[in-house]
Amino acid sequence: MNASRKMNAPVVIIGGGIVGCAAAYYLSKSGVQVTLLERSVLGDEASGRNGGGVRQQCRDRRERGLAMASVRLWQELQATLEPDIEYRQGGNIRLATDEKRLSDLRCQSEEELQDGLPVEMWDQSELRRRAPYLAEIFLGAKYCASDGMANPLLVSRALGWAAQRSGARILTHTEAFQIEIQGRQVTSVLAKDAQGEFVIETPQVIHAGGPWTPHLSQTLGVVVPIVPARSSLAITQRMPRLFDEFVSSHDLGVYARQAREGQIHIGRSVSEPGETFDQTTPLPTIEKLARGAAQMIPALRGSNFLRTWTGTLENTPDGIAIISAVDGIAGYLIAAGFSGHGFCLGPIAGKLLSEWLVEGEPSMSLREFRLARFQK
Amino acid sequence: MIEPVEIVVVGAGPGGLSAALAAAHAGAQVTLIDSNRQPGGQYFRQPANELHGEPSRHQREGQALWQQVQSAGVRFWAETTVWGATTEKILSLNGKDVPGTIQAQAIVLATGTFERTSAFPGWTLPGVMTAGAAQTLLKEQRILPGKKILLVGTGPLQLVLAAELVRAGAQVVAVLEGAPIFRNGARHLSALWRQWERIAEGANSWLTLASHRIPYRMGWGIVSASGNQQVERATIARLDDTWRPVAGSEEQIACDTILLGYGFIPFHALAQWLGAIMTWQPELGGDIPVRDSNMQTSVPGIYAVGDGAGVGGAALALVEGEIAGIAAAAQTGHQTGRAAQRIRSLAPALAREQQFQKMYAALFTPGAGLYALGNNETILCRCEEITLAQVRRAIALGATTIKEIKSITRVGMGDCQGRMCSHLIANVIARETGQSVNQVGMLRPRPPLFPTPITAIARTPSEQMEVAHP
Ligand SMILES: Cc1cc2nc3c(=O)[nH]c(=O)nc-3n(C[C@H](O)[C@H](O)[C@H](O)COP(=O)(O)OP(=O)(O)OC[C@H]3O[C@@H](n4cnc5c(N)ncnc54)[C@H](O)[C@@H]3O)c2cc1C
Ligand SMILES: Cc1cc2nc3c(=O)[nH]c(=O)nc-3n(C[C@H](O)[C@H](O)[C@H](O)COP(=O)(O)OP(=O)(O)OC[C@H]3O[C@@H](n4cnc5c(N)ncnc54)[C@H](O)[C@@H]3O)c2cc1C
Repeated sequence: MNASRKMNAPVVIIGGGIVGCAAAYYLSKSGVQVTLLERSVLGDEASGRNGGGVRQQCRDRRERGLAMASVRLWQELQATLEPDIEYRQGGNIRLATDEKRLSDLRCQSEEELQDGLPVEMWDQSELRRRAPYLAEIFLGAKYCASDGMANPLLVSRALGWAAQRSGARILTHTEAFQIEIQGRQVTSVLAKDAQGEFVIETPQVIHAGGPWTPHLSQTLGVVVPIVPARSSLAITQRMPRLFDEFVSSHDLGVYARQAREGQIHIGRSVSEPGETFDQTTPLPTIEKLARGAAQMIPALRGSNFLRTWTGTLENTPDGIAIISAVDGIAGYLIAAGFSGHGFCLGPIAGKLLSEWLVEGEPSMSLREFRLARFQK
Repeated sequence: MIEPVEIVVVGAGPGGLSAALAAAHAGAQVTLIDSNRQPGGQYFRQPANELHGEPSRHQREGQALWQQVQSAGVRFWAETTVWGATTEKILSLNGKDVPGTIQAQAIVLATGTFERTSAFPGWTLPGVMTAGAAQTLLKEQRILPGKKILLVGTGPLQLVLAAELVRAGAQVVAVLEGAPIFRNGARHLSALWRQWERIAEGANSWLTLASHRIPYRMGWGIVSASGNQQVERATIARLDDTWRPVAGSEEQIACDTILLGYGFIPFHALAQWLGAIMTWQPELGGDIPVRDSNMQTSVPGIYAVGDGAGVGGAALALVEGEIAGIAAAAQTGHQTGRAAQRIRSLAPALAREQQFQKMYAALFTPGAGLYALGNNETILCRCEEITLAQVRRAIALGATTIKEIKSITRVGMGDCQGRMCSHLIANVIARETGQSVNQVGMLRPRPPLFPTPITAIARTPSEQMEVAHP
């Protein structure tokens, strides 16, 4: 290895998705001179390809508090970040086509209200009144007015570039391939870019590598149970403004939102089977997106698909993230495996990681997100 | 349901027709697909109906080839667009009375090109259009694009078009050739003359232009267009070796129409989706698939021919098509013994056309100055109306690759999927950030290739959506 290239950093963040960029953003604002390594460009993976949903309702109860705290951060970020991240709280509608799903939603709404999340149940006539653009096949819905959406193409980049302006060193096209420890303490990260390999000496790593996290954590002998899966989206040509909400139907297997510029984004609300890093969009999936969308929103029957794409999800066995230290290794935090919810949770995850390093502990408990929960 | 087919040829221009004919002659079952109503591609473009007067020589040649293709038993799916493709040789189609999805044993891609443009101040004014669009109007509809026409661009095709326009009654105010042919062309001059003559349909084009005293200015290009609502005049200038306007040489020319003929960019998206390895060859138009001497890409059974595999003109497309047709048929089990020998016999013709292609590329590849004409207000992406100033702002925020600039500005994300603007943006970013175009990267197209109706993709008619199960 070419030992002549060496850097130092108090904190190295591995991964420039929304989680890594948010951590860099909050740490830099606290005056910590982080170095962030991203093997491609910022937000190039799931963080830049997702459905754009910033949703608190219908979450796993263990995640609900984080989602609600994250929404408060989203409001602040919308006011401060550049370019404009297009965050707005247009509401979220979760649809039901049968009684079973409707009663599940009703149960969930009671739990959510208990936890302080304002949601409403809509019956069929209320749904027709509030969302006349939806097909008549739905029996009712649950609605959360403070949920919303943002533009995934912009958020990670806006966070990362803001961090850069506050002194963060953002190294894109740079891949970390090994984390080194001495005794029980992290000492350095080995990385490579177009010029070759180099060393960054650091006592602290935040590992936010999305579904690729297990590969690198392996170099420390740490097993992280995250598996990749693919998820695809389609976008229509621009249409006149039709709706403001983020709507989804598990029965039809799709969700939809209308972007600021008028295009309608359509995604799959059920995950595709199979562990894969493949990012081509399967033709049968495109067909399902088209059919589901046209069934859910009749106005789409006259529209055109403009483009489709695919990103890689990062699923854990119990479907919630790992935001955790690792027993026996000082200076190593993992923040990955957001299991398809990380866009919403990215800001709060970054903020809590920053507090953890700056203040010694995060302001909200992260007990439920420990890696050790899988080692029982 | 996926319908199996033997050989599919995508694109019914010279390359595709010739491939389909050769494969069918060898005994293969061939399906030829084109999004146009009529076969012929750009070169053999057929008039929309018989009322539109006498066919030209190209059109007659095209008809003869088409008749051979039909009698060889090729199945033609007109007005059918291939909108998706996967590495399993599966193609998604949008057309009437055709299957939605087919899987082929071998595929010949003959998808041609789209036209290179230049973003100069005023280029989005009504009255500015590409040479190809004007040619299509003329050949299919017999409609003149305007009254006082200025042609700017490069290559002998400009002369052909100018002559066609004049014969159809238009006033051509000038033809500007960007390449400084007399400075750079000396060593090619004899070969050039022969080929030029061939391409330009004998000396006819020359004579037509000369007899109408139409100025043909080499080493000149457009700087800007202006007018109130519509093009009224152009500012033109002498160009240096990098195609940058020479300060002080500007002149004004009155015109109502400006036709841009800056060459072609291979339409390679399907090759990429089918898994072919690409190579960056700016002199052949940009990214093209790597091919062997049978016109096979890096993926066995996927062939690419014609301008879509490297710009080289109709004659080269015909030879390449024939080679690929023979090779594809051999691959699916027809005349396997004779294929190699037949392909060898085409080698001299191929070599001749390739030499022409090289010379053509050496002379008529635009220099970087073509991409330096815009100012802050100049629109780079027409679909999304994104200006150079917006791109510069994204660069100032931290963006360095086309991917990032796309996501910040929406450049290249409109209906054309970047076909019109990808090369403009890549060149502008390269210049503004001091990188090479290759480092900046091109936009990667995503299916569908063209905006495609949801009902066609879902293969469910609108009225059945209500009942169909998810
Ligand atoms: C199609 C789709 C739709 C989704 N919809 C939603 C939604 O609507 N709402 C929502 O909340 N969530 C959604 N998600 C999930 C959300 O996008 C993810 O949970 C979130 O983006 C995860 O962010 P991340 O930063 O952890 O990971 P990623 O975005 O995967 O980023 C990880 C980054 O780390 C880099 N990296 C990895 N290893 C290394 C290394 N060794 N060296 C350098 N760099 C490395 C990668 O290149 C990558 O850029 C969706 C996901 C997909 C795929
Ligand atoms: C203005 C102009 C003038 C020209 N004049 C001359 C000349 O005088 N002499 C000369 O030698 N050459 C000339 N050319 C160049 C010549 O037309 C091309 O070299 C030749 O047509 C290339 O043939 P091809 O088969 O590769 O592609 P093309 O002829 O371009 O045919 C490609 C076909 O593929 C179809 N296609 C592409 N993608 C799809 C898809 N996804 N689904 C379905 N169909 C698809 C297109 O509709 C098109 O019909 C001219 C070109 C232009 C634009």
